[in-house]
Amino acid sequence: MTKHIITGLAAIAALAACATAPEPGLPQFAADAPAPVASVDPRVKFKDGERYLRDLSANLDMPREEICKELSRYDCMTDAFRIVLGGVEAPNLLVNEPIENAALTSPIAVDRVALHVCSNRVRMDRENPAKAVLFRAGAFGADGQAKNPDAKWLNATADAIYGSILMRSPSEREIQNLTAYYTQVSDGRAINSPDVAADWVILSCFAVASSLEAVFY
Amino acid sequence: MKRIHNSKGAIIAFGLSVAALGFAAIAPGAPVIQSAYAKPPAPMAFCHAYPEAKACNTGFAECVACHTTPPARNAFGMQISEKLAPGVARPLSDEDFLKYLPAALKAVEDLDADSDGFSNIVEIMAGTQTADANSVPRALACAADDASRAADAQWNVCSFDAAYAFRKVHMDFCGRSPTRADMDAFRAITDEKAKLARISEALDQCLDSPYWLGPNGAVWNIANAKIRPAHAVKSGENPGPVPLGDYDDDYNLFTWANSDDHDVRDLLLAQYFVKRTGPVTLEQISEEELAKRPRGTAQPVPKEKRVGMISTRWFGAVNTMFTSIPRTTAAQAYRSYLGFDIARMQGLNTVPHEPKDYDIKGVGAPECAVCHATLDPLSYPFTRYNGISGGYSYNDDRLKDYVRVDGPRVAEAPAGGMIIGQEVADLLEWGKVAANSDAFAMKVTYDYWKLLIGREPDVNDQAEYTRMWRGLKSATTYNYRVEKMLHDLVLTNAYGRP
Repeated sequence: MTKHIITGLAAIAALAACATAPEPGLPQFAADAPAPVASVDPRVKFKDGERYLRDLSANLDMPREEICKELSRYDCMTDAFRIVLGGVEAPNLLVNEPIENAALTSPIAVDRVALHVCSNRVRMDRENPAKAVLFRAGAFGADGQAKNPDAKWLNATADAIYGSILMRSPSEREIQNLTAYYTQVSDGRAINSPDVAADWVILSCFAVASSLEAVFY
Repeated sequence: MKRIHNSKGAIIAFGLSVAALGFAAIAPGAPVIQSAYAKPPAPMAFCHAYPEAKACNTGFAECVACHTTPPARNAFGMQISEKLAPGVARPLSDEDFLKYLPAALKAVEDLDADSDGFSNIVEIMAGTQTADANSVPRALACAADDASRAADAQWNVCSFDAAYAFRKVHMDFCGRSPTRADMDAFRAITDEKAKLARISEALDQCLDSPYWLGPNGAVWNIANAKIRPAHAVKSGENPGPVPLGDYDDDYNLFTWANSDDHDVRDLLLAQYFVKRTGPVTLEQISEEELAKRPRGTAQPVPKEKRVGMISTRWFGAVNTMFTSIPRTTAAQAYRSYLGFDIARMQGLNTVPHEPKDYDIKGVGAPECAVCHATLDPLSYPFTRYNGISGGYSYNDDRLKDYVRVDGPRVAEAPAGGMIIGQEVADLLEWGKVAANSDAFAMKVTYDYWKLLIGREPDVNDQAEYTRMWRGLKSATTYNYRVEKMLHDLVLTNAYGRP
């Protein structure tokens, strides 16, 4: 798990770096859309844990009550991280209102939930390929004969990740960032390994599910 | 109106209050005198001078307009102090203070107490803090070039963005994002009026969702701080180990008054109770059904003496408990339904010759009287309603039971009192005055504003915020129907501008 988190953080850092300073050899998007206008009065709100999980539940086709359980027993929002994820528990804990500012552990909890959900989704995809949502083997190893993932499969998977989690098509740059990330995930490992591909899907899913766009509204 | 929620200040004020109460406790029977240090008439006098100031929406400004923690003055208060009747012996009487204050305020209008580049008068009228350099009037308009670019961007950050509002309505009222198909369909709408109609339609659907209306839903959670449930003493369904009262009645009444075509003033006027008949459905309970309830969930206050949320069994159990003069009960009602937190010195409206200290608690000490001259007259109408002792019932002679503990004068405490400057004969009138006040409409609006906008209304929100709460009061606008107000609130710039 720790390795996953570290790799995940590396993924975020890599994506952020790609967004601001494209590496040599990657397509340049400098002539993309002009810099967005900054809001004069930004009012971005935290989804809170329940709405975050409801969205992931609906978008990734996972039952809400099963989507995230700590120690395989405790619901991530209701039982494990309710208060730090912006919930309330008035009758027993006397927390009548959501905490005014995010707790130190709030981002850790969000990351943990995102990683739980993405890991579970990919596990389910591998167990039942016919109903796969993110990790669709397709041309990549569907018949047990793993091949190197081609650009078409990578692009389609990146598109599925953005489409499922953020409910929109990714930009060309976003696809490029995710597909380029595959080489980092496979570094030192067999590039045609289904495990490597699954790790890439998990971590890409994690990067998108823990993005500002997925967590706030 | 911008409410100041300075936690450090509140802690200090609370500490001083505790210290003052402690002093009072060791000096029972302390003489009842008016404070020589604080000037409770000042908030109202300030608003007589500046009736159009944003800080005076409720008729009196907050103490922090001139003070840090009263009586300590902030920079603006010190400027006024220098100009206030120079040469006249201190302390000033209340009469002299009121006489000289207008001239002192006038004298400092063009000064800039916090050196933020805006004069005191500009800040007073704009609603920003005269003694806080970080609080300054500012315009929120985009430059023309930015506005043009923003209009073509994914999010239009320079004006109301219908697609953004559509998504937010789903998130805030349904507890989930719209589906991709819903979002694509919305973006395909080209007519601006049709977009607004679609937002309104989505809102109507979500207002009936379990996320909004159900147990532990959004409306339910707004009531938490007002009801203050404690499972350990819950009776009825899912009882705690020491069942005293069932707060489900309180949550149900709150949800009822805040939903559908119901009058939200019933929070303070209702003489009925409500039961939940389904996840999002409620109905009034007949008196016959109510009378058949077992002892643990009975509502002993007779129908004609009920005053909405503030006379329920639960409200008495957790606030009045065993006290003769239920100050905590009154303060909780004042805080919950009018937005005035006396512990933060909000809503102080001194009543002459108060507090009379009928129960010999020492509240007449100067440090205590600053608040108790407002709080005690606010509390008297609650004195006929029993808490735990007395079985949550109504009793005209209730205070006679407290003579042995609180002294003979406690029985002289009147049933009538005073709230926001108006005399009331009993708690029924208390509820009526409160429910029809500007402060009540503001507090209702404030709760939803905080939930939906995600922060307290600030100076730049004043026009829209004021339109909302005034509309809530207006018979021809929302007529105290919360859902009608919400339909307009989601179309404000505050809500729909990313």
